Amino acid sequence: MRTVGRADGWAKVTGRAAYAGDVRLPGMLYAALVRSPHPHARLLRVVKDAAWSVPGVCAVLTGEDVPYGTYGRRVRDMPVLAREVVRFAGERVAAVAAHSLQAAREAARRVEVHYEPLPAVLDPEEALRPDAPRVHEAAWRYPGAVVGPDDPPNLQSRRVWQYGEDVDAVLSRCPYVFDETYTIPAAHQGYLEPHACVAWWKPDGSVEVWASNKSPHRLRAQLAACLGVPADRVRVMPVYVGGDFGGKGSPMDVPVCVALSQATGRPVKLVVDYEEDLTAANPRHSAVVRVRLGVDGEGRMQALDVRAVVDGGAYAAFKPVEHVNLNGFAEAGNTYRIRAVRIESLIAYTNTVPRGHMRSPGSLEANFAVESTVDVAARALRLDPLEFRLRNVLRTGDRGTLGEPWMEVRGEEVARAALAALREGEGAGEESTADGGRWARGVGFAFYCRAAHGGETEVELRPQPDGSVVVRVPFPDQGGGQHTVVRNVVQRELALPAEAVWVQQADTEELGTDSGVGGSRVSLTASAAAAQACAQLRERLRQEGLEGWELRAALAELARRRPGESVRAQVKVDEELWMNSFCVQAARVRVDRDTGEVRVDELVTALDVAGVLNPPSHRAQVEGGVVMGLGSALCEEVVMEDGRVVSGNLHEYRLPSVSTLPRLRVVLVPGGRGWGPYGVKPVGEMTNVAVAAAVANAVADAVGVRVRRLPISAEAVYRAMQEAGR
Amino acid sequence: MREPVRTIQLSVNGQASTVTVPVRKTLADVLREELRLTGTHVGCEQGVCGACTVWLDGEPVRSCLLLAVQAEGHQVTTVEALGTADHLHPVQQAFWENHGLQCGFCTPGILMTVVAFLREHPAPSREEIREALAGHLCRCTGYQNIVRAVEDAARRLRPARG
Repeated sequence: MRTVGRADGWAKVTGRAAYAGDVRLPGMLYAALVRSPHPHARLLRVVKDAAWSVPGVCAVLTGEDVPYGTYGRRVRDMPVLAREVVRFAGERVAAVAAHSLQAAREAARRVEVHYEPLPAVLDPEEALRPDAPRVHEAAWRYPGAVVGPDDPPNLQSRRVWQYGEDVDAVLSRCPYVFDETYTIPAAHQGYLEPHACVAWWKPDGSVEVWASNKSPHRLRAQLAACLGVPADRVRVMPVYVGGDFGGKGSPMDVPVCVALSQATGRPVKLVVDYEEDLTAANPRHSAVVRVRLGVDGEGRMQALDVRAVVDGGAYAAFKPVEHVNLNGFAEAGNTYRIRAVRIESLIAYTNTVPRGHMRSPGSLEANFAVESTVDVAARALRLDPLEFRLRNVLRTGDRGTLGEPWMEVRGEEVARAALAALREGEGAGEESTADGGRWARGVGFAFYCRAAHGGETEVELRPQPDGSVVVRVPFPDQGGGQHTVVRNVVQRELALPAEAVWVQQADTEELGTDSGVGGSRVSLTASAAAAQACAQLRERLRQEGLEGWELRAALAELARRRPGESVRAQVKVDEELWMNSFCVQAARVRVDRDTGEVRVDELVTALDVAGVLNPPSHRAQVEGGVVMGLGSALCEEVVMEDGRVVSGNLHEYRLPSVSTLPRLRVVLVPGGRGWGPYGVKPVGEMTNVAVAAAVANAVADAVGVRVRRLPISAEAVYRAMQEAGR
Repeated sequence: MREPVRTIQLSVNGQASTVTVPVRKTLADVLREELRLTGTHVGCEQGVCGACTVWLDGEPVRSCLLLAVQAEGHQVTTVEALGTADHLHPVQQAFWENHGLQCGFCTPGILMTVVAFLREHPAPSREEIREALAGHLCRCTGYQNIVRAVEDAARRLRPARG
């Protein structure tokens, strides 16, 4: 049997890979949730009688019945079930466990909840005004809060990044200042597996959890804090995760599932339906981003001032970074040499669905605004937009916009590669021009640059009597291919064939540390840990006098002599590596001059790469990112009306399908300096970011109008053309 | 107040099964819960994503849109029956080797559609492949490796047809 594919490929093509929703335990109950229909309301009374009358019901819980604290990844501001007040439409108000899912859902429908609607605040700008209704009475009191009592009432987080000269002073000296405002809506991560978990509060007081969560060790800590138990009482078990894209890093519904298990003494499974996930999970932040860009008489960027007002929704619980802001905003303008930079991101609480991370959190919001503004500037200055970018692009040796001592910057090479690929594609695939002038054609570019970050993890190698090695890792494979990366490293280090290396996810008791799959860090940490573990294993073989042996025979001998022995390597990689990756994307579009319909004919992605551990897996990450970027550019929006998400199914929340894709060209630009024993660069959050700006810039090139709001719909282009009188 | 139940007979992966099911329970849920065939995944529950695709008498259907009682007397085939543990179906092998999957949640449904499609179209064009996959969503791969996997699977299947 050939096994050149993914490490998890066999399990996944045979249907044997177990996801959280596939777990089944003896005596297991099924859960369903009751959610608030109101964005903001006082909870007056909950009547459970009718719910209890459904046969098979074992528990009906409300907030008062849950003996735990609030929860969150950093800021613990979210109740397990609402108490006294609901803060968004979709918030959990009650939970039911029953012998069948049908009974649980029927009982949930019969829970009677009496509300007194309260004035809701639905817009972040309004929320920050002193007289706005308060989402939380005292948000600064939550554990982990990053705001104080003197801050505006609904402030969730404020971050300012600043470097260089005074921005206002430099702007005032610039002959050209471009002042633009862009709007980015909420979006859903679009993983196909809705949130699922199984929790079992065992008779001895320990808790076992199976969850669609990409950071099991962090989940354990977050649950322990919420339940008020020591972390070693919580054990998170291995399962595959059916897509993540930033959305599967939180406890989500696990605490309520644990509460139901504790109340009933049985294991409980909770799988939300896709509508609940689309309307009440943790979509991308919506943001309004104002950009002021100052340019001198030679077409050189001098100053950049970015101010984002961001909707954080009703809770900050779903964000993992310390300041619960979005690090992507810090990237604003970072592809260019700019003397003075100031970036401010204000996140407000509102009575809308709580926001979380989505692949490259904050990056798309910043990039769409800044890269559109750069294009506006180029066109106003009558400069070619690519030429304008190249005139200003950051180069190796430059400090970054926020003072970063980058070890290299490959923007120019990558841009030239994108341009060459775009030229190769010229004319190809275009339909006849005999269309009566219906289609206007255009090309647009956008640049993106992202820093790499470290993290920590652990890898264990267990030699087997048949000469193979079982590799235990503390993180799941949520699709990113990290189990395959680990297998490849172990294969290379030990010169073993793929079928002699078995990668398995360990549970949280077996391995000690891991920062989870996120921030595109796992290829760095896991490749380093795997290489180190292999070195240790070779050392053990040497100590046993087995170094002259053929390796598989040596491994088998070690397993025979020392049954159960293993080696473990922990690594901690610095958070700041001063390594970045550069991506340049170019869109070739046509726009229907009458209707505003936009068709992307071709999308070129040029990407700075270093060592690639597994080329097809790397390619999938690149291509998957591009298509996700197209979704953000053209069709994806979590639509809200009166604070309620109304795009509650995949007919209305449209993910890109294969039939709607343009020609995708990916150019890898090798030769970058990577990190660690395999010289790798992160790839997971690179290619989804700049697509939206590239498409918007191509639309501007085609029909001369600027779309300042995503997604770039036919309606938006039509209106912009009408306003411009075109 | 209890939901009516019905005892039905159906053939699942070549084995006759008799199950007593609530009449409103979907085929997907009965396959997963009653018959413990969890390779069939449930995503959107509205027939959009295609993750729950199985065969009914050899033809791909959305098992989230069918009630189990509607499958009575029919032959149901799921991903578990495409190959054996030691001998994968060539389409499974092609998806594995070409990285035609990442998180794997959409994969079983896509495999069911692709195996049926290649039966009818042994030498498909890229356009035909894209059309055949249009009813399936994959958020991870950007579809390119999936199309490559289908092309490779078609090549693997062709010599066997003589």
